Amino acid sequence: MHPQNKIEPRHTASFAMNTLLEIKNLHATIGGKEILKGVDLTIRAGEVHAIMGPNGAGKSTLSAVLTGNPAYIVTEGEVWLKGKNLLEMPAEQRAREGVFLSFQYPVEIPGVSMVNFMRVAVNEKRAYEGKPALSATEFLRLMREKKALVEMADKLNNRSVNEGFSGGEKKKNEIFQMAMLEPCLSILDETDSGLDIDALRIVSNGVNKLKTKENASIVITHYQRLLDYIVPDYVHVLADGRIVKTGSKELALELEEKGYEWLNN
Amino acid sequence: MVEQLIHTGERIDLVISDQEALDTVFVQEANSTLRIHLFRITKDGQPFNLNDTLHIRHDGTGCRTEIYALFLLRGTDKAALHTRVCHDKGQGTSAQIVKFILADEAQGEFFGEMTIAQDAQKVEAQQSNRNLLLSDTAVMRTRPQLEIYADDVKASHGASTGQLDESSLFYMQQRCLSREEGRRLLLRAFMADVVDTVEDEKKRQELMDAIDGII
Repeated sequence: MHPQNKIEPRHTASFAMNTLLEIKNLHATIGGKEILKGVDLTIRAGEVHAIMGPNGAGKSTLSAVLTGNPAYIVTEGEVWLKGKNLLEMPAEQRAREGVFLSFQYPVEIPGVSMVNFMRVAVNEKRAYEGKPALSATEFLRLMREKKALVEMADKLNNRSVNEGFSGGEKKKNEIFQMAMLEPCLSILDETDSGLDIDALRIVSNGVNKLKTKENASIVITHYQRLLDYIVPDYVHVLADGRIVKTGSKELALELEEKGYEWLNN
Repeated sequence: MVEQLIHTGERIDLVISDQEALDTVFVQEANSTLRIHLFRITKDGQPFNLNDTLHIRHDGTGCRTEIYALFLLRGTDKAALHTRVCHDKGQGTSAQIVKFILADEAQGEFFGEMTIAQDAQKVEAQQSNRNLLLSDTAVMRTRPQLEIYADDVKASHGASTGQLDESSLFYMQQRCLSREEGRRLLLRAFMADVVDTVEDEKKRQELMDAIDGII
C-alpha cells in the first residue's frame, strides 16, 4: 500500500465523474534502468497537483512517460485519461487528447517559424476534435490574444521555435502554446527553473488564468517558491520512483524547511 | 568539359534542375558574379546516377561566386558533386552551401576543392556541407579540401552528416503534430537556405512543389 491516498477528495460525490487521470502502479525504465517503481496517482478535473522531490527521483521521467516520449519504456502499470488507455496512444494522440507538457528544456527548432508551427498544431488538434481549421484571420487573432496572456512580444510569429530565446522567453513560450492548445491536463516540468521573479510572476499568472473547473495541472518543481504563485490542492513527494508522501500545500513549506532528508526519518 | 566565360562586371544567375549531368568550368573575369542553384531531386521510377562537376576560376579580381546545391535522393539513387573553386586573383568571394538528404539506400558524395593562390589576397571563401541521413542504409561521403597559399584571406569550411533531431520530433509530437508532419517541417527548414535563395519566384515555387511532392 502506498500512502498517497490518505487525503480525502474535496468533492467526494463527484469522484468518478471528475476523474481526469488515473495512474496505477506505473513502472518505467530508460536504458534498462528502472526509474519509476510503482507510481499511483489520481487527478480530478479542477485540481492542481504539485510533485516535488530530490534530483533523480523520477519527476521528469513521469512527465516523459505520460507524454509518450519514446526513450522511456513502460514495464508495468496503467494510465487512464478520461477513461481512455493513454499508454496505447502515440505521443501526438496524447497531445490531441489534451495532455500538454511544458518542457523543462524547450527545444530550439531553427527554420520553423512559431506561426507555422502553431497553425499546424492548433489545426491538427481541431481536426482530431472534428472541428474545421481556423481561417488565417481567426488564427492570427487567437495568436494575438494568447500572446497577451504571457506578455509576449508581437514579433514572436516569425521567429523560429525557441531559437535564440532567453530562458524566460522559452518558458513564456511554453505557456503561450499551452494557451493556444487549451489542454485538459497540463504538466509543468520545472517551469520555474531559470526564471527571474518578473518572468515567474508572468508565467504563473498565465497558468492561473488558464485554470478552469474542467482542466487540471501537474506542477513539477524543486522549490516551494513556485507554489506561492500556483497554489496546489495536493503536494506529492516523489522519491526513488515512488510517491512516498502526499499532503496539502503546507507539505511544501515543511519540505522547504526540513529538506527531503526529513522524509527518510 | 564545357567552358563558359563570364565577362567583366557580368552577373549570371543559373537554376539547374534538369537531369543532365553538369560538367562545366566557369571562368570569371574581374568583378563578375556567378550564382548557381543546383537541384537534384529524385523522381519516381527512374533511379539516377549522376556525377556533377562544377569548376569555377576567378581570372580577375573582385569576383563573386555563390553555389547552392540540394540533393534529395532515395531508393537506389546515386549522386556526386565535385566543386573546385580556384581563387587565382584577389578580392574575390565564394560561398558554397551543399546539402544532401538521403533516404533508403541512396548514396551521396561531395568533393569540395578550394584553392587560394599565393597572390590572391583579401579573398573570402566559405564552404558548408550538411547532410541528413533518413535511413540506416543511406551512405554519404564528404571530402572538403582547402589549399590556401595567400596570407591575408578568410576561409572556412564545415561538414556534418546526421539524422533528424529526435528531441525536435518529440517536441512537435507533444504539440499535436504527427511524426510525418514534424519530419516535413524539419526537412523544409533544413532545405530553406538553398531553396529560399532562388530569386525567380516562379521557379522557386515549382521547386518547392516538386520537393513537397516527395517529402
